[in-house]
Amino acid sequence: MSQSMSIPASQTRRPATMSAGMSDRWFSILLITPAMVVILVFALLPLAYALDVSFRFADLTRGRLGDFVGLDNYRIVLADEAFWKSVGVTLQFTVSAVVLEMVLGIAIAFLINGATAGKGIIRSLMVLPLATSAAVTGLFWRYLYDTQFGLINYFLGLLHLPQPNWLGDYTIALWSVVLFDVWQWTPFVALIALAGLQALPKEPFEAAELDGASTFRVLRTLTFPMLKPVLFLVLVLRTIDSVRLYDAVAVLTRGGPGTTTESMTFYLYRTGLKLFRMDYASTMAVFFLYAMLVASLFALAPLLKQFSTRASEG
Amino acid sequence: MLQRPTSFATEVLRYGLIVLVLAFIVFPILWMVVTSFKPPQDVMVSPPRFLFTPTLDNYVHAIWEKNFLFYIKNTLFISVTSTVLVVVAGALAAYSFARYNVGDGHILFFILSTKMFPAIAVILPYFLIFRDTGKTAVGRFLGVGLDQPGALIISYTMFNLPFAIWLLVSFFQDIPRELEHSARLDGLSRMKVLRKVVFPLAAPGIAVTGVFTLIFCWNEFLFAYILTRKTASTITVGVESFFTLQGILWGPVAAAATISVLPMMAFVLLMQRYMVRGLTFGAVRG
Amino acid sequence: MKQILIAGAVASTALVATVGAASAQACNDADRVPITWSTIAGFYTDAMAKLVSGFEAKNCVKVNVVNIDNSQLYNKQVIEMVGQTGAYDVVTLETSEKAEFAENGFILPMTDYFADKKAQLDDVAPTLAALTTQYKGDVWGLPYYTYTAGYIYRADLFDDPTEQAAFKAKYGYDLAVPTTWAQHRDIAEFFTRKKGDKLKGEELTKDFYGVGLMAGPFPEIQDEMSGVLWSQGADWLTDDGKVPVDAVEKAMDDYLKLVKFAPPAALTVTYDGVMNQMKDGQIAQTYSFFLDQWPNAVTTEQSVPGARMGVAEAPEKKAYIGGFLLAVSASSTHPKEAMDFVAYIGGHDAQMEFAKAGGTSTLMSVLSDPQFATPESRAKTGHFATLLKIFDDMKGFRSNLFDTPFGAKIYNTMQIPLQAAAAGQITARQAAEQLASDVEKICGGPCPIGK
Repeated sequence: MSQSMSIPASQTRRPATMSAGMSDRWFSILLITPAMVVILVFALLPLAYALDVSFRFADLTRGRLGDFVGLDNYRIVLADEAFWKSVGVTLQFTVSAVVLEMVLGIAIAFLINGATAGKGIIRSLMVLPLATSAAVTGLFWRYLYDTQFGLINYFLGLLHLPQPNWLGDYTIALWSVVLFDVWQWTPFVALIALAGLQALPKEPFEAAELDGASTFRVLRTLTFPMLKPVLFLVLVLRTIDSVRLYDAVAVLTRGGPGTTTESMTFYLYRTGLKLFRMDYASTMAVFFLYAMLVASLFALAPLLKQFSTRASEG
Repeated sequence: MLQRPTSFATEVLRYGLIVLVLAFIVFPILWMVVTSFKPPQDVMVSPPRFLFTPTLDNYVHAIWEKNFLFYIKNTLFISVTSTVLVVVAGALAAYSFARYNVGDGHILFFILSTKMFPAIAVILPYFLIFRDTGKTAVGRFLGVGLDQPGALIISYTMFNLPFAIWLLVSFFQDIPRELEHSARLDGLSRMKVLRKVVFPLAAPGIAVTGVFTLIFCWNEFLFAYILTRKTASTITVGVESFFTLQGILWGPVAAAATISVLPMMAFVLLMQRYMVRGLTFGAVRG
Repeated sequence: MKQILIAGAVASTALVATVGAASAQACNDADRVPITWSTIAGFYTDAMAKLVSGFEAKNCVKVNVVNIDNSQLYNKQVIEMVGQTGAYDVVTLETSEKAEFAENGFILPMTDYFADKKAQLDDVAPTLAALTTQYKGDVWGLPYYTYTAGYIYRADLFDDPTEQAAFKAKYGYDLAVPTTWAQHRDIAEFFTRKKGDKLKGEELTKDFYGVGLMAGPFPEIQDEMSGVLWSQGADWLTDDGKVPVDAVEKAMDDYLKLVKFAPPAALTVTYDGVMNQMKDGQIAQTYSFFLDQWPNAVTTEQSVPGARMGVAEAPEKKAYIGGFLLAVSASSTHPKEAMDFVAYIGGHDAQMEFAKAGGTSTLMSVLSDPQFATPESRAKTGHFATLLKIFDDMKGFRSNLFDTPFGAKIYNTMQIPLQAAAAGQITARQAAEQLASDVEKICGGPCPIGK
């Protein structure tokens, strides 16, 4: 690839050869301007608002923003049992959903990659869950899960298997939400892993076959290392989305039974838009953002490093 | 295939598993489509009814009585506009990050971090911002106010840009600089190089970014629900008009859901050929 | 002060409007005053459209109806009120939300408006009026629909001789519409059967349940439990604004005794799920159930061969009194027209039309109109007579839940501990204690009660 033809750092030579009259620096800033304007205004303003509110009393139903209360909201939120419970639910959901989606997705990708015919149609069908909204398909999953009218329990009944109360049994409701998420997002992982597999160069594999390397060895030493960047990207994407789990909970369980499926964002919603305690909600949001930033400093560091090194080595 | 004796059995097993996986994936959607053709008395029955006299009443109800095409029209306009904005602004910025490494990774990290903020936490500030912009002359002219498409377009653009930029950066990094360099030597301006050389080469990445953005906008609920009331409502909000005080109208909801999924499916299928390569996000470099 | 100013403004616009009323007939579309009504999605849409056009024919007003899913109506309206957008002129409030909207200045009092329309106000069923329209001595609007709860059951099962004999043999008294919770529990137990058992002498092809419950994650389990709690002489909040833990625990215990006779879906559904179970012949009765669903429930007679539906007061004659109150937003730019609209929709003529379409009216004059008591109108208004009885038996009833400005928040939260107990995750005691601490948190101490 391009590394072999490394070109000296562009900044040093452009002005001499290019006659457009604009320096690289200005051009590069011009390019990011539209995106940055949108992001600065619509990310920083709400963030500033949230930060401001997190230090005040703000029961919105009782009028406008109230007095400055220092760190009270942080103290209250961090001592709130329901908040930590929702953090626990979120972590449990994220870990199980992401692990399942990654493992199943990769397995399915291998399964399809080995198929000789029909890849086009398989891929087209796989895209379906992605093209639908959780708000709508979630509704039909609720119907499928229903113990009286649902198809799932009907089939289980035919097979004389136990018929769980998918969304009503507090020991399994969260798993039912996970299953729905797995249904919607495993194809996403599978499609990307499949694309990754298909984009792998042929030569190293042919060489390995000539050497008589075992399948396992090829997987371990060639396939996975080469797929690693793309899989890592998918992992990060799925994790970010799972941590912000909201739609599926809202439509399937509304956090119930009790609070067994109440994710952090759902608790945030309930606090902010049902109880209208924007002070607590904003505090949670700030805390959430902070936790995510710290986590992503670790998670994204390799990705960003990859970006910058590739950008500078060109 | 015949060289190895096990291969036939493996193939059978492979396709058997694939069919199982596909059945799991397709089934809920298929059941939704089936429901959309059911008369009301055949929907909520136990045991479930597989044989029934299909009817188009649910579609008639969804389209004429509930005017569902209105929501589709709104959604189409809002989603497509947002997608175009995201792709254009995102591609320009991503190119800049990929080529010039603006901000040395810090700006890029900042952009990514905005994706982490839970939408629910910013929705009220957004509501207040758009309430106020909607009162200004510019806001009215551009339709950037509550219950106007502009508010959703801006929100969706904002929420998709980080992801789009992130995806696109790696695609641009894959394009050899020499191509741009020689095009510049041929006398093309910077913008022309972008348009004629860089963007076409990054087409798969742009297509995938576009597909994901469109899917997100099409299916978004929270912003649509808080920022619109009636005139700018989108399908996810429109579906709620089927939740009546006499219960959920399952047949018409299924019909509406089926109609709303169709454009997405058509679009995704159209983009298929770009997506295979695009889906690797340029991260697998052969 | 602010209220006096508004009242003055209303009074002066009222003068202008009466002068202009004569010319309403000759009203150009361009001159129409636009008002917006936020209401429940899919709610007797046809009848409502007719009522709206009826109002528009008499007034130079254009009514814009915004339909919102019932579960989102509260927060959507609060956001618009807090933002003072003026987007909604007329809002639709649940019984528990009135005090909050009134206390926080979101809606305008209509006491002065109704000063010379006392007859109209008095026509609202008094029990309903006390709970839905009044707060701190003012009138805040008119209820235009009631979903007051009662008892809906399969009369054919109760009348079946084999079932009657079996019931008598088992419990020692006659099978009849229950008047006590103990009887209600017995009936629920009695009718709970397995697939293959006999019901009315015929073999069941699927499981059958004694009672339909709505213990799903929606604010409905509290409506069911209200009947139990209130009939035991308690309330969700004491006069000092605290949850009476012992009383709630007792009501919860009674409720838990019923859960085992309900379909498993009881833990996930709301009222429409219960209706679906009824219409599919899966349940025998449902207590503390919204009577406005009667037209829906009665279709069971078509879907289940031999079924006949009955409606009665809930056991112990206490049940949730629910109504949708129409009120005028304080940020409305046309409060006078908005109030006219409220008065029109909540008025006799409109309510008659509404009732004919199957809507459950709030007015005594409509509920007691003989034309709704005829056998022909049974399928639509067969529950009116029962409603009158409920209103009569609960006359003078008030609940502190509806008189605290935190009522809506409490109401939107209380199903969480109650549902957790129904699902068996926590005990009745724990649920009552959790409810008490949740409520205390919401109110920031004992809840203020403003009668």
